[in-house]
Amino acid sequence: MAEINFKLLFEQLPSPYMVLDADLRFVAANPAYLAVTMRRWDELEGQNVFEMFPEPGENGRLLAASFQRVLQSGQADTLAYLPYAIAIPDRNGGGLAYRYWSAVHTPLPGPDGRTAFILQNAVDVTDLVSAEAGAALPFGQIPEATSLLQRAQETALLKEQAAREAEEFRRLFQDAPSMIAVLSGPDHRFTFANDAITSFLGGRVLVGSALRDSLPDIAAQSFMDWLDQVYRNGEPVSGNSVPIHVERPGSGRVDLFVDFAFHPIFADDGSVKGVFVQGMDRTVDVEAERRQRILLDELNHRVKNTLATVHSIAKQTLKDSESPAIARASFEARIMALSHAHDLLSRSSWAGADLRTILTRELNPYGPGRADLEGDPVRLAPRAAVALGMVAHELATNAAKFGALSTGTGRIMAKWRLDTAKSGKTLNLAWRELGGPVVAPPSRRGFGSRLIAMSLEGELGGTTDLRFDPDGVTCEISIPYEDDAPHENA
Amino acid sequence: MKTPEVLLGLKVFVVEDEAIIAMMLEDMLTDLGCSVIGPCTGMKQAQEMLAGSETPNVAILDVNVGGEQVYPVASVLAERGVPLVFATGYGSVGLAEQWRSRVTVQKPYTQDDIARALDAALAG
Repeated sequence: MAEINFKLLFEQLPSPYMVLDADLRFVAANPAYLAVTMRRWDELEGQNVFEMFPEPGENGRLLAASFQRVLQSGQADTLAYLPYAIAIPDRNGGGLAYRYWSAVHTPLPGPDGRTAFILQNAVDVTDLVSAEAGAALPFGQIPEATSLLQRAQETALLKEQAAREAEEFRRLFQDAPSMIAVLSGPDHRFTFANDAITSFLGGRVLVGSALRDSLPDIAAQSFMDWLDQVYRNGEPVSGNSVPIHVERPGSGRVDLFVDFAFHPIFADDGSVKGVFVQGMDRTVDVEAERRQRILLDELNHRVKNTLATVHSIAKQTLKDSESPAIARASFEARIMALSHAHDLLSRSSWAGADLRTILTRELNPYGPGRADLEGDPVRLAPRAAVALGMVAHELATNAAKFGALSTGTGRIMAKWRLDTAKSGKTLNLAWRELGGPVVAPPSRRGFGSRLIAMSLEGELGGTTDLRFDPDGVTCEISIPYEDDAPHENA
Repeated sequence: MKTPEVLLGLKVFVVEDEAIIAMMLEDMLTDLGCSVIGPCTGMKQAQEMLAGSETPNVAILDVNVGGEQVYPVASVLAERGVPLVFATGYGSVGLAEQWRSRVTVQKPYTQDDIARALDAALAG
């Protein structure tokens, strides 16, 4: 059997053919093509088609788009009707030839299987178009070829217009800040997924695969049932701030919240053919709401606790006091002591308060020079700050009533230091009244003594030794100390 | 409100981490004719005291104890059949699901509130 010479066949084809490489440079052209374009091969060889035949307008764009589609998809592309002017060489008289073409672009694979060349068959249909123009005159006859062309022309225009609109919508959806996807069929196969939903789901490839295959994590949640429901009933389903967990490739499981709406997409016969998915990541808002709720709960808790504390102080002050006047004065003073401790803490956003500042605040009312305070700066955690503030207040008022601060010459000496042992740090504080009257032990255990024991030993887990020695009250306090005040709930 | 007879002589286990509030609760219970086990101001102390003391007749538990939740202590008491009262600034919504049906008393509370809560816990 004789072999066909394809080169010769290409040369002999009566219809114009040419071949471009992926950079749209001429690789081959048959004599029919050279004739219709009025060019010699040495003029075309290696030239870019758009440099050779420039067309800055819409039709140039259409032709370029068709080439790109072929290169990207590896599929043939048809331009049924393309007006495209080409320059007439000077040797043929110069000027522009207004031509109408019908072109088919066919991909030719290179050695690696990818599209390396485009084969163009471009038929010059200018004569047919001119005949059509004549047919538009009154009583004109429309030849068969013209009406065929007209149909091709209209179809091409509609197709192009629809494609352009679809492309515009696709781009809008693609870049939209909310999540958008189109699912098709009963297995919810992705036919579209925009950037927002793709990145939300961890960058997985979605288009082309069924939800169960591409997103097993999502398919295992209620979303799958809701999609099935929309597909089955043709009724939309939506939800607000719905918890969702996503297994993002590389970063693992994340727990998030979404607003979503699933709407049915109907076929012409009224059956459901797919689901339109919209979604919005609401995680940030949900977390902000949750934080706010926790803060409000915490605030409520603290307010109630503070009220209970004030209630307790009132009740015990009234019980212990000899007269309403004394009760009123000591109640006010105790509330002020509590308030002072809170003031110091709120200044540091409840991070802690300085021991010296707390003691100074409670001893200041008795005048300058009545107290010797010795110790390194020690920052107390909120709980310890409030407790020591209240204890200092009780010790100072007791000294003012019965002890060293009840005379003009007595003084208070308070010394403290931090001791470090294996078990941790301890704050040791010694309170001593000096130069006061002879002290007699109290007849009963009052609020102050109970508070010292209950708050420093019980609440703070320390030890105390309160002694009513004749030459002055002493109180040795030892409480566990933590450098980094841990988070506390009052 | 007159002290209900049923409260007289009851041994009440108390967990309350705020010293000043604990002092008041101790006074209230003493006034009601009860004896107080505690008050425990920390979880560790509460667990130790629970292990070393005879079974109380009833318990009043602050929910939030020094940043910890009181439930481990509540569980031990519940296993031993001790009626429980939870004291909280949140009311019953501040309780974990499994304890919501228990008697709660909301801070700040009065002596009458405590008497009623103990009564309800003992009856329930």
